[in-house]
Amino acid sequence: MFCADPDLPRADLTQVGIGWRHPHYGELLATRPDLAFLEVHSENFFAEGGAALEVLRQGRAQYPVSLHGVGLSLGSAVGVDEWHLDQLQRLVAQIEPVRVSDHACFARGHIHAPGGLQPVHASDLLPVPFSSEALDVMCANVQRVQDRLKRPISVENLSAYIAWQSSNMGEPEFLASLAHRTGCGLLVDVNNIYVNALNDRLQGVAGDPVQRCTDWLDAIPAAAVTEMHLAGHADCGDIVIDDHGSRVCDPVWSVYRHAVSRFGAAPTLIEWDTDVPALDVLLGEAAKSRQICREVLA
Amino acid sequence: MTALAVEQQALLDALFTRPPVGSSENAINLIAAYTYYTGARGQKVYINNGFSLAERTLLAAYPVMAQLLGEDSFALLARDFWLAHPPVRGDLAHWGAALGDFVQHNALLAGEPYLGDVARVEWALHRSASAADRDAQPATFALLSTVEPDALTLQLASGVFVLASAYPVASIITAHLNNSPTLEEVGRKLRAGSGECAVVWRQGFKPQMAPCTSAQAGFMQALLSGASLLSALERADEFDFNQWLPVAVQCGLVLGARPIDPTQRISDHESA
Repeated sequence: MFCADPDLPRADLTQVGIGWRHPHYGELLATRPDLAFLEVHSENFFAEGGAALEVLRQGRAQYPVSLHGVGLSLGSAVGVDEWHLDQLQRLVAQIEPVRVSDHACFARGHIHAPGGLQPVHASDLLPVPFSSEALDVMCANVQRVQDRLKRPISVENLSAYIAWQSSNMGEPEFLASLAHRTGCGLLVDVNNIYVNALNDRLQGVAGDPVQRCTDWLDAIPAAAVTEMHLAGHADCGDIVIDDHGSRVCDPVWSVYRHAVSRFGAAPTLIEWDTDVPALDVLLGEAAKSRQICREVLA
Repeated sequence: MTALAVEQQALLDALFTRPPVGSSENAINLIAAYTYYTGARGQKVYINNGFSLAERTLLAAYPVMAQLLGEDSFALLARDFWLAHPPVRGDLAHWGAALGDFVQHNALLAGEPYLGDVARVEWALHRSASAADRDAQPATFALLSTVEPDALTLQLASGVFVLASAYPVASIITAHLNNSPTLEEVGRKLRAGSGECAVVWRQGFKPQMAPCTSAQAGFMQALLSGASLLSALERADEFDFNQWLPVAVQCGLVLGARPIDPTQRISDHESA
């Protein structure tokens, strides 16, 4: 078992980074804004060579980099893809990231096809049931990744648009057990908690969404939290979607304030993946996050 | 199968079932037994995510195909391809290789028979962008004057791909990416039944594509299959190596020369 991020510099109150996406590659390298780290999606840099990987190397020369994956499929009953692990291991060796993370989800499996069962990777963050069986599977997969990388990873909670009947525990209990059994860190996505609470309300679940979020946060072991994520979402009327396409909304800032009071100065990431705005907009959100940290932790 | 595997397979089946959900209740029914209230609407979110991802991913790899088909048709093609050939890896940069064969065998696109080769060249361009970095080694060209041609070969650039097409595939692609030749000229070549060979490689970090003669294509194909310089030259008729080499070096297609080991020489002769 690994210890969750033992070297996390909790004394630094302003560890805020941004998701570094293609539209900002050049500008960020040229202007070098004051950021604690850059986050990139690991899979976008699995190539053996090429311009994207070179840009990441240049970014790494100036900033700590957090490798955030979307494809490990840690909850898959069929296990983790050895090929995927090979690519991630190579990237980790090259970039020496400050953190490695992925999601508490599945994507790999099989579908029925005319010739029989066909392997598939859905390229999405599909929810797993919060059940003992799913927990065992995820623990085994997380352990395998950590053994291969020889370092702990962090696992992020999802926005989920379906709920499994076989769930027999709450999400915080599931994640806390995962962290306890594997030594992995927990990456708390504050917006995801809020999106789930809004969707629950649309389905008639009682209770104030912000209060439900703070209750969720209170059920998470603070020592396991290694990073927090903030992003925007889209309200489609009949469902709320975590699209990372707008500013962080006020209720999420409010929940974040509570998260900082619970988890201290865990590094915070501003994510924006859809309709990526000017770099200054992201830096503004990062500054707001920093300000909240200072106010809460003063 | 475990209960978890059954649940996961049910959801994956629902997401990749034809016809797309929205017009069918079948997929929703597939997982209705396993999920709570948000199942139908939530499932649509995942299905739409997949389709949107398919369009964006293929658009990045196949910009000329997208121009040729138009936005709506390309989106439909992407959805159809997503369901027919779902990804198997968690890195979508590897998804889409089969699009050339897919469009070639698509009855609706039978009137545009060149699309398959256009897609194959675009896929080669896409993959060459992420091929392993490889530096030029100009000093090794001295081997050309000191080592017998059956004992050495040429080191080609990263991501080299050669295609001989019955259609003017190189002209179609450059017409759409670089406005040269004109679309009128490409139309004339198509109507005349002119075929073209195309070579794809990476110059520095930039993927490149250029037309080449069939002799040059045959020569490079031989090198790619591991042939010695002598064997590759023997397989390429009417090929002026001395004229071709300086141009190929200047544009980064050839990076150097290297000896081949004796065992490779033996198999080279046997296969020639």
